[in-house]
Amino acid sequence: MNRSMRFRAALRPFPYLMAVLVVGVITLVLWWLREDLTLANFSLIYIVGTFVVAVWLGTGPSLLAAVLTFVSFNFFLIKPYYTLAVEDPREVIDLLVYLLVAVIAGQLAAYARQQAEAARLNAAEQNVLYTLSSAFNQLTDRASIVHVLQQQLPEFLPVQEVEVLPQTVERPSDANSTTSYLLLQAGQSIYGTLRVTFTAVPTESQMRLLMACTVQAAMALQRIQLTESAQRSQSLEEADRLKTALLRAVSHDLRTPLTIIKTSAENLAELHDRLPQAEQLEMIYSINQEADHLNMLVGNLLDMSRLQAGALRINRHWNALDEVAADVAAHAWKRHQSERLQLDFPDDFPLALFDYGLILQAVSNVVENALRYEPMNAQVMVRGQADQSEVRLLVINHGPTIPEAQKAQVMEPFFRGQDGRVGLGLAISKGIVDLHHGRLWVEDTPGGGATFIMALPREEETAAGGIGC
Amino acid sequence: MLVLVVDDEPQIRKLLHTGLSGYGYQVITAANGQEALTAVAQRQPNVVILDIALGGEPDGLAVCRRLREWSQVPIIMLSVRSGESTKVAALDAGADDYLTKPFGMEELRARIQAVLRRTAMEPASSPTAVIRSGALAIDLTNRRVTVNGEEVHFTPFEYDILRLLAAHPGQIMTHQTILAQVWGSDYRDMTHYIRIYVNQIRKKLGENPSANLRYILTEPGVGYRFVDPEYVDHDPIDRGRGDD
Repeated sequence: MNRSMRFRAALRPFPYLMAVLVVGVITLVLWWLREDLTLANFSLIYIVGTFVVAVWLGTGPSLLAAVLTFVSFNFFLIKPYYTLAVEDPREVIDLLVYLLVAVIAGQLAAYARQQAEAARLNAAEQNVLYTLSSAFNQLTDRASIVHVLQQQLPEFLPVQEVEVLPQTVERPSDANSTTSYLLLQAGQSIYGTLRVTFTAVPTESQMRLLMACTVQAAMALQRIQLTESAQRSQSLEEADRLKTALLRAVSHDLRTPLTIIKTSAENLAELHDRLPQAEQLEMIYSINQEADHLNMLVGNLLDMSRLQAGALRINRHWNALDEVAADVAAHAWKRHQSERLQLDFPDDFPLALFDYGLILQAVSNVVENALRYEPMNAQVMVRGQADQSEVRLLVINHGPTIPEAQKAQVMEPFFRGQDGRVGLGLAISKGIVDLHHGRLWVEDTPGGGATFIMALPREEETAAGGIGC
Repeated sequence: MLVLVVDDEPQIRKLLHTGLSGYGYQVITAANGQEALTAVAQRQPNVVILDIALGGEPDGLAVCRRLREWSQVPIIMLSVRSGESTKVAALDAGADDYLTKPFGMEELRARIQAVLRRTAMEPASSPTAVIRSGALAIDLTNRRVTVNGEEVHFTPFEYDILRLLAAHPGQIMTHQTILAQVWGSDYRDMTHYIRIYVNQIRKKLGENPSANLRYILTEPGVGYRFVDPEYVDHDPIDRGRGDD
């Protein structure tokens, strides 16, 4: 509320008194000047007074002012003074015309004032509703809607307390007239009851504004509920799709190594004295190998489900991607007993914030995938690049090129590659990189092959000042 | 050489008993924390293989802490979880090393040998004036480092880190230990400096990870380990699966 509104409100109980006062003051001035002024002067000045009363105080007071001015005109200013008699009969016409003009002009002015006032209130209401609805639009939960209501309503309504009660609450019989109970309803759904305690009995326009705000709040609550349920059903659908893929993977990819282990162990138990030693060793070797394979698969499945459930915690520290690449290269040497990887990092390659263990796993999966398709006479190149915003790791393979349509698919869980193996590795890598707000994508290697590019955001190296600081 | 195996799974106890006996160790077993404490007190084993989850009180970490109150016996902890916090907790509790299940018997034997060798060495502290590992030689008296007979220049910080790691081959040096030993205890949150220095050291040593030529190994999220000349098979990828 601004100052002029408060001033006007303070005078509202006495508008008729004010009208009398205005007419009295004008009459006093005119009475003092009555010998120097003409009849036309009097009527014009009185008209102005009536106008002021009309614009300021409204219809009723302006009518009173018109009648009062007409009487005092006659009584104080027209000869003979202090009587209601008129000397010159032509002046009777003047007086009657004055009364007519004063009444009509007063009523018109008061009406115009009402219109302007209504328009102003309307604009203020629109403004309030606009502010509220744009605030609501940015919110995604019920608590912050309630918070905004509690903060905003006292800004433009004389409100003491705002509360949102769960579900429908009956207005208690002992509630006083300064407390309003409004239902937060949108369509068929009810989102609670808004209880507002005013500092004084609210006016009609204040109640109207409050109701409009309530509708806005209810609509915002409805929008939030609809979004939430849409998200829930989407993630349920996704979980269902994954479950199907998981069952397929379990039945095929886990059973194959299990079958090999079981038959090998049985053969060894039943036939060990009849089998040549070389064959026995081969069976032992394959049991060992398939157990490793199973271990890897179970690990991947666990990681995948943890990623999907959002249950993987990341522990970010300043780490070096070249250190990760070195670990992966050493691992590749052990698996293949030859230099299958070539590392290429600039000397001043910067650190980045990431979880070493997780990124190690992500890079390892990408590199293992690249090695699987690398021709025997070539090496997979692991190259580091950095610019102002990102550090990048390029894993460059020289095997077959991935068809354009499959480029995004290869990183989806349970994608089956050309060799028929179920793919979880790249999906896990993608999930881990996403957790770090990074990107993982695939491009063609010039001359043939696939280049996987992992980009991690390069945060401000604020921590990397001198060690003495 | 007496080895105590502590695990609540009878199958694992049996397997480890068979496997380690095959390598010529004398093996005793305990199924829970209380049995383990009693066995250490009565039999005084040379090394303890301790599972972290014993399915009851006290758990592996508690047993480790209690043992450390009165015993210096080398402890290797076993765990199915290999998250960084588990590893750090095990080392903090006083364990000498840890292994993540599943592991190979050969790897376990190598770890046992490594901790035994370290404890055998320790009383004499460092009578050796030169640490050698492959082509690398560190002359402790003159602070000189040579690779393939050629001298390589190291800054004081680089040299101190290298010496600290090389003096404890096969043993995990946590980031905190390195910071405290090289910089002093005021620099606890500065682990990224170690990374920068270790990177420099590796370049100067001429590591070639693609050909498995490495001196310093990374223990993700925990610290570093200098290669054990007796046993170099270390693979953070097989064991580095975060599980907590």
